[in-house]
Formats: sequence, structure tokens, C-alpha cells
Amino acid sequence: MTAVPGAALVPARRRRGPGAWARDPWRKPRILLGITVLYVGWSLLPVLIAVLFSFNDGKSRTVWQGFSMRWYYGDPLRSVWHDPTLHSAVVHTLWLGVLATLITIPLGVAMALGLDRWRGRIPAGANFIVLITFVLPEILLAVALLFVATVLQTPLHLGTAGQVMGLVTYQLSYPVVIVRSRLLTIGKHYEEAAIDLGASPMGAVRRVLLKMLLPAIFASTVLVFADVIDDFVIVRYLSGGSSTEPVSVKIYNTARAAPTPALNALATVLLASSLLVVLLGFVAYRRFTRGERRSIDVFAGEA
Amino acid sequence: MPPAAGDPFARRAPSGQIGRRSLLKVMLAAGAAPALADLLAACSSSGSPGAAGSAAPKIPSPTNPVRWPLSTKHPAIKAGLKPRRGSTLKVYNYADYLGPQVIKSFEKEYGVTVNVSTFNDEDEALTKIASGGLDLDLYFPSYDSIGKLVGADLVRPLNHDYITNIEHVWPQFHDPWYDQGWRYTVPYTVYTTGIGWRADMIKDDIGAMSNPYDAFWNAEYAGNLAVLDDWHTLMSMVLLRNGIDNINSTKQSDINLIHDQLMKMLKVTHPKVTITMYNDLPAGQYGLAQMWSGDVVNAQYYLPKGTSPEVLRYWFPEDGKGEVDNDLMVVLAQGSNPVAAHFFINYMLDPKVASKNFGYIGYQPPQNSINPDELVADGYLPKSLRSATVLPHYFDVGYRLLQLPPAADQAWHQVWQEFKAGA
Amino acid sequence: MPDTTARAGRRLLWPMLALPGTVWLVVLFVAPVYVVLAVLFGGVDPILRQPVPVWNPVHWDVSQFDYVLEHIVGTDGFFGPALVRTAVYVLVASVLCLLVAYPVAYYTARFAGRYRGLLLTLLIAPFWISYMMRMLAWINLLQNDGLVNQVISLGGLLPAHVNWLNGQPVTVVLGLVYGYVPYMVLPLFAGLDRIPAAVQEAARDLGAGRVETFRRVTWPMSRQAVVVSLLVTTLPMLGDYYTNDMLSSSPQTSMVGNLINNSVLTPGQTGQAGAFVMLVLLVSVLPMLLYVRASRTGEEVES
Repeated sequence: MTAVPGAALVPARRRRGPGAWARDPWRKPRILLGITVLYVGWSLLPVLIAVLFSFNDGKSRTVWQGFSMRWYYGDPLRSVWHDPTLHSAVVHTLWLGVLATLITIPLGVAMALGLDRWRGRIPAGANFIVLITFVLPEILLAVALLFVATVLQTPLHLGTAGQVMGLVTYQLSYPVVIVRSRLLTIGKHYEEAAIDLGASPMGAVRRVLLKMLLPAIFASTVLVFADVIDDFVIVRYLSGGSSTEPVSVKIYNTARAAPTPALNALATVLLASSLLVVLLGFVAYRRFTRGERRSIDVFAGEA
Repeated sequence: MPPAAGDPFARRAPSGQIGRRSLLKVMLAAGAAPALADLLAACSSSGSPGAAGSAAPKIPSPTNPVRWPLSTKHPAIKAGLKPRRGSTLKVYNYADYLGPQVIKSFEKEYGVTVNVSTFNDEDEALTKIASGGLDLDLYFPSYDSIGKLVGADLVRPLNHDYITNIEHVWPQFHDPWYDQGWRYTVPYTVYTTGIGWRADMIKDDIGAMSNPYDAFWNAEYAGNLAVLDDWHTLMSMVLLRNGIDNINSTKQSDINLIHDQLMKMLKVTHPKVTITMYNDLPAGQYGLAQMWSGDVVNAQYYLPKGTSPEVLRYWFPEDGKGEVDNDLMVVLAQGSNPVAAHFFINYMLDPKVASKNFGYIGYQPPQNSINPDELVADGYLPKSLRSATVLPHYFDVGYRLLQLPPAADQAWHQVWQEFKAGA
Repeated sequence: MPDTTARAGRRLLWPMLALPGTVWLVVLFVAPVYVVLAVLFGGVDPILRQPVPVWNPVHWDVSQFDYVLEHIVGTDGFFGPALVRTAVYVLVASVLCLLVAYPVAYYTARFAGRYRGLLLTLLIAPFWISYMMRMLAWINLLQNDGLVNQVISLGGLLPAHVNWLNGQPVTVVLGLVYGYVPYMVLPLFAGLDRIPAAVQEAARDLGAGRVETFRRVTWPMSRQAVVVSLLVTTLPMLGDYYTNDMLSSSPQTSMVGNLINNSVLTPGQTGQAGAFVMLVLLVSVLPMLLYVRASRTGEEVES
């Protein structure tokens, strides 16, 4: 990447006025660096503080009263381990994450492949709808599905089934968008080469294309999982009582009532679980694609 | 997230064909719409509850007591049953309105798992219950919902054989005007609605003012106060402020008055609108709030270390002429565990359990064993909160929040909607 | 013979792959819009005032929709302020997001060097942290006795004591910025990364200063990425109601999401919620189309 290419030509230690320093196009971007560092700090520090207070000994979330694990398993009534509403929320959240991701990714990848190659108005329309769901305000979809669940007799009920269906609908655009952009870069050559060598169309897809798409599939899996765990509006509207309330809804309800550090502990537990899942997936990914791609870029959507 | 791929190679049909095709499509759609409508009508939930019996709802009041008809579709449970060990009891309640130790001891004694779902206000609760998808067993409404619940056949009549602890409850609740013969309800807690404040954050003695309700329109407290996020409760306070006794008024002039003064309150004092005063007031988020008596009692347990409960104050009219109500427990018809629900109700009416629950939630149960005059001496209340006691005679002179007839209910809700939309 | 069947098989393959996803979106996204219309133009049951949908367009009753429209502007227009407020908050928050995200994305794309992976990880981290947890962290900090007030008053020396959580528009706007800025950083990064460094260096070699290089080279080339990331951030913000609920809880900062949320669960007002849903949908259709167009042109430029 661009280091500072002209640096070698500039003699070191030359005294210049501040005006010249400001005008120099080759100087180190300290202001930008400063902004970036400040941004990362502003972005992550509040969360670190919240995690810190989950280990607070007292009931306060603003005054440090000593270190203890009471909100995790110590307190017999209110800790995450003992309070059934709290730990069931973690379990339900992870369960929703797994279910929704398992449905979304195959559906989305297949759709990406199909939409990319299929010509016509139906696929153009489908593509349009996918892009709309990508930027749609979530509450619109949540209210629409709530109406469906309450005024129609369909398989969409309030509760886990409804939540999963709503989540898949909302997240489907992620794998479609990510995989399609990767497909554009790959192009058709490899597939056609495989077919020329005798593979069936499905075989070409399976043995050539999918392997090349693995980074994009992996990136969308991780993003969908993270987004589903974090989801609030859809799961709240379609929840069927406290046993189907995930962590995000619990935090929202309790934060507006009488929060204790148990809430911080709950959020930290979820954070740790999702980091674990992402880490495991990342390790699996590295094993599958030894040395092929620069890993992190894929997450940012780099094709 | 990369920019999404359009299809750069899509063929575009020649324009002439588009014209004919879209016309065909429109005609098909027009023909299909009624067919689709029929299909969707077939899929509709089997009629909205109670749509068949659309007679004007009976509205109970102290001067018009009502004996509800027993439900034929959901009869009372048979006698002599026991709750199944390992089953679940689904309770629907406000947050922090049931003591966790009380729940745990019930679970231990009967081997039943208790699952508490929470709602923020009764409108939300009724909507979720009516939607039918939820399978809740026990609900904690106030009596302004009873007419709707019975009318829509959402509640199950109680089998009194299971609820022997009713003998410990104040006699006036054995045959209340809102449910004569206590066919569907038992009382849960009694409370008043008054004004709570912190003496260390508000220098004036609100209780000593000539019209304490005026404090909510006093610019001196702007940004430092909160009002209850409950439409009927808050809007009634406006009426009481103006000396209007009928807090269930259907007069348009009263409703207009409420509207104007509520909007003025928004402009002058910018209140927070919430039901979490029991946590926010002790946390110092604001110094003055319209509160329920139970919340101000409960607030003493949320004070940070080192702050004495004596800073909490509460005002309610001395003569009892303020908002006074009680909450109830009902068994919902949709639940699958009504036997456990009956046992839970009976459990909550036990004097020892009720006292323990009182200690946790701060709301006074109408138990004969709890003497309202002795609450300070018994340690439930600090001296400064003596006025938060609910005395039985309040129920003779105080004003209740009753169910409103549909048109008035709509008009009140429209004012509330405008209030919540902000200025 | 194998050639033509292979080609025919290929042609069927793509529609078959795309069909499940398309059907899913039609059933769970497009059809529910019709349900919203049926509720909006339907009636109310007399006892519980729950919505009664009317399916046949011939019998549709526009009174609920009319009620909403009548009360937007004019003397009776009490929905107007909330709608205007939403537009203002979202606009200000989006601009602030851009001002923060652009330098950060630019630095990461251009100057990060060997720290690029680490920086990207830190920028992606907020996606793995629940939105609710991030808001909860700020609620803790913004309480009257929280860290922010402690810092501002320099530990009690100065009398500064702001009620951050008592209905302050500033808090809500900053909360929106905090919540949504990670969604803007990544697409901006992806877009800025595509600008070849060589072009900028050429400009500088030709004598352009920093500002001029930015104005005449970098900004025009990043415009499309800016549009895309603005839309990805702004459109979801329109439906936000929980940020206001958690950080303010006061009617004077209510947004259109709050209008929807309040009326959905109020007996007799559910149809009005449907009206707001349709209004927000209509308002966001134009930006959504813009997004679709911007994404397409992007691809053409790239290929």
C-alpha cells in the first residue's frame, strides 16, 4: 500500500514553518491518524466500560464498588446463571442465530447464483426486491409481519417460528449482495473451462464455483449471524412471551426499568459467545482457504 | 458491503412489447384481486373475538355494580385437581411487580416452572392477549379492562374451592362492584396515585402547596420531572388539577381541556414519560414525579448507599379525594395450565406470602393481617412516606379509573396520541 | 448431443437456484405489504378495538388513512412535528456520520499499511457487539451520576451537571450517530480503497496541494461510494424508535418510528400504524431507487 513514496527524496530533519508543513502533500497523515484513533476509542471504550461494570460488586452501574462475579453466577436470584429469564435469553438468541443463518445462507447463495445467470424480468424484479430489503427500515417489515401473524392463520406465528421467518426475510439480501459482487469479479471462465472438460453444469458449480466463492460465503455467514444475534425490532414484534425474548429485547426492557449489572453481564456473555462463534468460523475458514485470500478484506466486502 | 450488482447484461425488451404485456398484466391483476381477496378472507383468523356479540359493553362503576355472566365457552375448572409437576405457568405482568423469592418458593413448593412475560401498559397487554397466539395463563389487569376481557370471552371464571385464602382479604373485595361474587377476579394490590419527590433535589414542599398538581406546569422544575406513561392516569391528573371530580368524563369540553393543558405541560416543563420512577427517582435522574404509592415505597430500596430513605416524600390528598385503585389477578382462557394458575392465586393471597411480596414490590396488598396504620411501625415505610399508606376509607371517597365507553375511549386515546407525538 | 442438453440443463439450473429465495421474498415481504393495506383500509372490532382487515379493495375504507393525512399539516397537524423532527435528526446524524466515517475510512484505505488488518478488525468489531449493549453502555455513562458528567465537571470541581437522558435532542442525535456510524465506515472504506493511489500521486506530482487533490480527484471518485454508504445508513435510521426510547423517553424527541410503535399496540389505532408504515415506505422509495441505481452504475464503472 502507499507508504509515503516521496519520503526518500525529502531530506530528514529539515526545519520548515507550519505553513509549509500544512501544505506538504507528502507528510505523514497525523490528523487522519488522530481522528481514526479517537474514533476507535470512542467506538469501543463505552463497551469496555460496560463490560468492566459487569464485574461490579454492588448494584450500581456507575460507581465502582469492587470486583466480584456475583452478577454472573454468584447472586442466587439475579445473576445470569440463576435468573431463568436472563440465561434463557442467551440460549434463545444463539438458537435464533443458528436457525436463521442455516436457512439464510443456502437460500441466499443459491439465489445469488441464480439471479446472476438468469436473464429476464422475473430475476430483475427479484434483484430489485433484494436491494430494497437491504436498505429497508426494519420496523416496516416487522409491523407487516406482525399483522400477518395476528390477523391471518398461517404458519407464521408469534414466537420462534415467526421470528426466524422474519429474520431470514430481512437478512436474505446480505448473502445475495455479497456473493453476487464476488461472482462479478470471478467471471465465467472457470466454469466454462470445467464444462469444456466434461463437467455437468451443476458439477461445475459445485466443484469450481462454490470453492471460489467460499470467502464470500464465509463473510456473509459471519455477518448474518452477527446481525441476527443483534436484531431487535423484528424479534420484539414477533416474540411470543418472555421465553422467546432474546438478549436485545431483555436489555431494552430492563434498561428502561431497573437495570442492575446483571444486564451488563448478560450483554458480555452474549458478546463472548458471538466472538467465540466468529473465531471458530474464522479458524475453519483459514483451514479451508489456505493462503488464498487476504482474509479480513473479505469482511469489508472486498470482492 | 460492496455496491450491489445490477445485471449489466440484461436484455431490454423492445418498447412495443412492453405496452401489450403490461396491459395484459394489469387486466390479470384486476381479475385476480377479488379472487385473492376471497382466498385471504378464508385464511383470516376465525373472526375477531366478540365481533358477533357487538352489544354495548357493560361498564361497571361503584354506583352500577355488575355481575358478569359465566363463560360458556371456557367454563371454570373442575374441583380437586392438582397442578402437574414440571409444567409451566405463564404469567403476564408489569416488570418488577412480583417478588422473585415469592416466585421461587412457589416453584419449589409445587414443582411448577413460572415464566413471567412483561408489558409496559394495558393497551399493549390487551392487544397481545387478543391476538391469541400466546397461551398465557395469568394476567394482572386493573378493573377498567374487566368489561372488555369478559365481553371478548378472554377470561376463565374462577373455581372458588381452590382459593380459600380469600378470607384473609379485605371484606370489601369479597363482593366488589366491578365483579360481584368475584366470579373472575381477586384483588392483587391497592395503591394511590400521587406526587413523589426528593427533598434533597426539590427545595419546596410540594405537599404544602395549595394545588400540588400545579407543580407539573411550573417552569421552575422544567427538565427535572416525570409523569406516568399511562393515558388514563396522567390525563385524569389534569382534570383533578382543575377541580373536576369526574375523571372518567365523556364531555368534549373536558377532553379539550386535557388536550390543551397537556400540550402546555410539554412546552413548559418537558417531562419524561415513563413508569420507572421507582428506579429513576432514587437514581437522581429527576426530582419530582407523578407516582403510584407502591413505587415510592419501593424506591427506598433503589437508593444508593449512603442516602437515607427520609429524602423521599409523597403527597396524596389528606381527605382521600385522589386517584385510588386496585390491581387484579385473572385466569386467561387461552392458557393451558389453569389449575396451576388457581394455586398461584391462592398462594399470593396467603398472608405470609403477601407480606413478603409487599416487601419486594412496595405495593400494599389488601390483607387483613397488614394494618395500614402500623406500616411505619412495622418497618415497611419510612416516616417520611407515611402518606403512601392506602387506607380502606380511601375506597369510599376516592376517584377510580373506570372503563370508558368506546367513543370517549377513542377521543381520550387521540389526545394521548397527540401528546406522545410531541409538540 | 451432450452439448445442447448441457446448455439446456444450464438454462434451467439458474432459475431453479433462484426460485426458492424469490418465492420466499414474495411470500414474506411483498405479500405482507398487501396485509398492511388491508389493515390500514379495514375496520375495528367494537369490543376490543382490534384491527379487522378488509381484503377486497372494493370495500376498502379510507377513514384511518385520511385521519393520519389530515393531521400532518395545518392547525390540527400534530403528527407534523414528529415527522419533521425525524427528518432533521436523521439528516444531522447522517452528516455527522459522514464527517466521522470519511476520514477514518480514508486513513484505513490509504495509510494503514501493515496495521490494516488490525484496524479493519477494530472497525468491524461494533458489528459483533449488540446494538443494545452499545446503547446500554452509553446510558450508564450519561446518567446524572455517570462518567460523562463526572468528566465534564472535572470530578465535582465545576458545577456542570447536564441531564443527558431527560429528553435532550442532542443525546438522541449523538446516539443515532454512535449506533449507525459503523454501517457507514465499511462501504466507504470499500469504495475509497478502489481509488487507485496512482491517480492521487499523479495529481500531487503535477503540483496540486492536499485540498486541491481532494477536491478534484479524491472526492469525485468517491462520490458513488458516499452515496451508497449514506443510503445504507440513512434509510434504516428512518425506522429507529428504540434509540429515542432508551436515551430519552420523552415525547419531545419522538420520531416517526415512535409514532408507529405507539399506535401499533393501541386499540383502535393499529390502522394508523399501517398508514405511517405506508408513508415511510413511500418516502423512502425514492432514495431506495437511488440506491439501486447507484449500485448499478458502480458496477459498470468497475468492470
